[in-house]
Amino acid sequence: MLFIELIAQGLIQGSIYALVALGLTLVYGLLRILHVAHAGLFTLGGYIGVLVCNASGSLALGFLCAALVSGFGGVMMFRLAYQPLLTQPPYVALIASIGLFIASEEAFRIIFGAQGMSFLDPPLQQQIVMGAGLQFKLAELLVMLSTSVIIGVLAWLQSRTRVGIACQATVSDPQMAESFGISLRKVRDINFFVGSALAGFAGVWVALLNNLVEPTMGSVTSYKALAIIVLGGLGSVPGTLAAALLLGVIESFGTIYLGDILDRNAIAFAFLIAVLMVRPQGLFAKS
Amino acid sequence: MSATHSTAPRSSKPLLRVEGVSVRFGGLVALDDVSFDVHEGDMLGLIGPNGAGKTTMMRSIIGVVQPTSGTVLLDGESLNGMPIHKRVQRGLSLSQQLVKPLRGISIADNVAMAAASAKTGSPLSALLNVSDTKELEAAKAELTRVGIAAVSSQSPGIQPLGVLKRLELARALALKPRLLLLDEPLAGLNTQEARSLASTIAEINQQGLTVVLIEHNLGEVMRVCRRLVVLDNGKKIGDGEPQAVMRDQVVRAAYLGSGVSGQDDCNNQQRETQHA
Amino acid sequence: MNYEISLLTTMAIAVMFALSLNLITGFCGQISLGHAAFQGVGAYTAAMLGHAGWSFLATLPIAMLFAGALGVIVGLASLRVRADFLAITTMGVGFLFVGIVRQQEFFGGELGLSSMPDHGFGRFGFMLLALFMCVLTAALSIYIKRSWMGRVFNGIAEDEDTMRVLGIDVPRYKLAAFAIGTALAGLSGSFYAYHINFIGPDSFGFVESITVLSMVVFGGIGSVPGVIIAAALLAVLPAWFQVIGDYKLLVYGGLLFLMMRFSPGGMAGLAKRFIKPEAVAKKEQA
Repeated sequence: MLFIELIAQGLIQGSIYALVALGLTLVYGLLRILHVAHAGLFTLGGYIGVLVCNASGSLALGFLCAALVSGFGGVMMFRLAYQPLLTQPPYVALIASIGLFIASEEAFRIIFGAQGMSFLDPPLQQQIVMGAGLQFKLAELLVMLSTSVIIGVLAWLQSRTRVGIACQATVSDPQMAESFGISLRKVRDINFFVGSALAGFAGVWVALLNNLVEPTMGSVTSYKALAIIVLGGLGSVPGTLAAALLLGVIESFGTIYLGDILDRNAIAFAFLIAVLMVRPQGLFAKS
Repeated sequence: MSATHSTAPRSSKPLLRVEGVSVRFGGLVALDDVSFDVHEGDMLGLIGPNGAGKTTMMRSIIGVVQPTSGTVLLDGESLNGMPIHKRVQRGLSLSQQLVKPLRGISIADNVAMAAASAKTGSPLSALLNVSDTKELEAAKAELTRVGIAAVSSQSPGIQPLGVLKRLELARALALKPRLLLLDEPLAGLNTQEARSLASTIAEINQQGLTVVLIEHNLGEVMRVCRRLVVLDNGKKIGDGEPQAVMRDQVVRAAYLGSGVSGQDDCNNQQRETQHA
Repeated sequence: MNYEISLLTTMAIAVMFALSLNLITGFCGQISLGHAAFQGVGAYTAAMLGHAGWSFLATLPIAMLFAGALGVIVGLASLRVRADFLAITTMGVGFLFVGIVRQQEFFGGELGLSSMPDHGFGRFGFMLLALFMCVLTAALSIYIKRSWMGRVFNGIAEDEDTMRVLGIDVPRYKLAAFAIGTALAGLSGSFYAYHINFIGPDSFGFVESITVLSMVVFGGIGSVPGVIIAAALLAVLPAWFQVIGDYKLLVYGGLLFLMMRFSPGGMAGLAKRFIKPEAVAKKEQA
């Protein structure tokens, strides 16, 4: 009983992690950059979603705007911050990203206040009874559903469409891809857009689940998303998904059984470190 | 072909023994049960068409690549599992195809780093040693030996390929090795430069250093090497005295089959891809 | 006078802390996003030993020992993973430290430890001691840089594969960097505990790790004078500009980003540009 509930909670949380981590893994696979500032786009999406929904009454519009704004925000980050730094050693981009992220968190705090924002009339809060004593908020069910759908669509796009294949080729061998006429700039733009839009999308979901967006909501998720892409292996979409869900479940069980010794974040990272010691290339990387 | 004879006594035990080495990357077989010996004082050329596995062989000897099966023995001691720096301490030295000098420091300092192996053996001894006079002297000696002492105070970043190749050789020599592995030391050099460097290498071998070298420049290889080992598609197809090996039908077929006669094309292409 | 004394002590501690990270990240090129954990180990060690009756000076070597030991363990972990994973692993170590300390009553739990016993040096004396240790740390850094250890570190930071082929035992050197750097962080931690008179799980979290990294980056990774100046400035920035206090993180974040974007060599890089512009231009052509 408790077991199933823990798993479910873990999967819900894991879905959020997956949505955020996907964007990160797309960027990492392409550029080998740890795009910490990605979390800022996650928070941005949350704020936009709440604002638009409160203003217009439509949640769908909120989702759309959040995804679009975050998506474009991501592309801008790439053009302004990362592209000029591609020729520098990798730590430069990493630290620039961290700086950008911290500044964005603070900007949210200063602009929107530290207490955060909520939905005026929180949608999707109805309880759905699933039998066997389980019940979930509609939002919780939908987040799992939408994550599966999105991942499925992405995986299909990656392997079946020209754009998707171009993206994959660019990840494995940028120079070769270029010689085939693939525009690196375009592929990178697309990857940043899609990944960032997903993060914004995830932000709205978290806003729905907690009925709160606040400036620091990105931090912990982003750190864990970083841990997830490491676990999932180099830029691998299925690996990231599996790692995200796994982490969600591990955290869920961990807080119950290890909560006396470690707090939630520590559990996540303890798991990460333990895995890396045994398999330094990540859980799902091809050896 | 110049009649060079090593003055070093030929010991019965080989300095380096490659015994049944196979290397597999995923589904690809890079090396397939290759065996050969290298005796002290040898000047051995490792040749073969592109993709034959020559660089993989070098990398297995130095330790960048671990053989899937088989052993590499130095002086009778198995090198399997031994980390690269230990192999270097035991007397191996590799001059790589893609030269990567340390850019923040001068050419002399680059070579001095190699010459400092006595002091840099452990972090503690490195901590306790500050002076680099001795190492710079040793560096100068090696740089003179390879002929680029004039640019020793300059940065490697602005040097042409010919200088970089010699820097790489000087670095490898400064380690005072017993066995020198050279991966395409002449690649990208013009005819004159290649001849000059090949002669330098032959001289170094005559002074007593055992050399194994990979080269596509067959002209120079035939001129300076006293023994050849030929690889093709990961297998050894020839082993012996250069003229005899090149007369062998199997070897000729392998080379003619892959059309390697365009030596100049080979060199030009490599010069383009290799930049300072 | 008290205010200035306190300020100088804060600066000395920050400089010690930043120089310790400079050794690991600046000299040896190993990115650490969890360095605050080692300062924390030193701080908690000193605090708890102090409460148990030890004199302040006696706690210093133990604090360094524990911090250094943990540093070696983390260093060993770092050997197994590749560079970009190292950053995340060290971040994880930071979170692990905070998580453990927060949950255990033994370490004071959520409320932390406070009311350190009197170190017996007086305000002025304590400041002098801190400055003295700071100077020692700087001297050690400069010495290391000049020695063969520094040269090897430099090589490892630039191209560790080539260093291996040159016969260098790269793993051992990385461990050495971690051991020395984290021990020094522990030293700064002991001073921190007694200076601020309070330490808790949130004193040594991710933000603190990023702050010290920003000091190193800002000064110019690897440059001892650059890091000293940057650390001293950034440590007291909020105090000098009261209005900045609230915007401290925004300023840090913004500065980090702008610095990396426009001058990855930090202040030292900027200085080089002004002092020897032709030499820099030549290097950039390469």
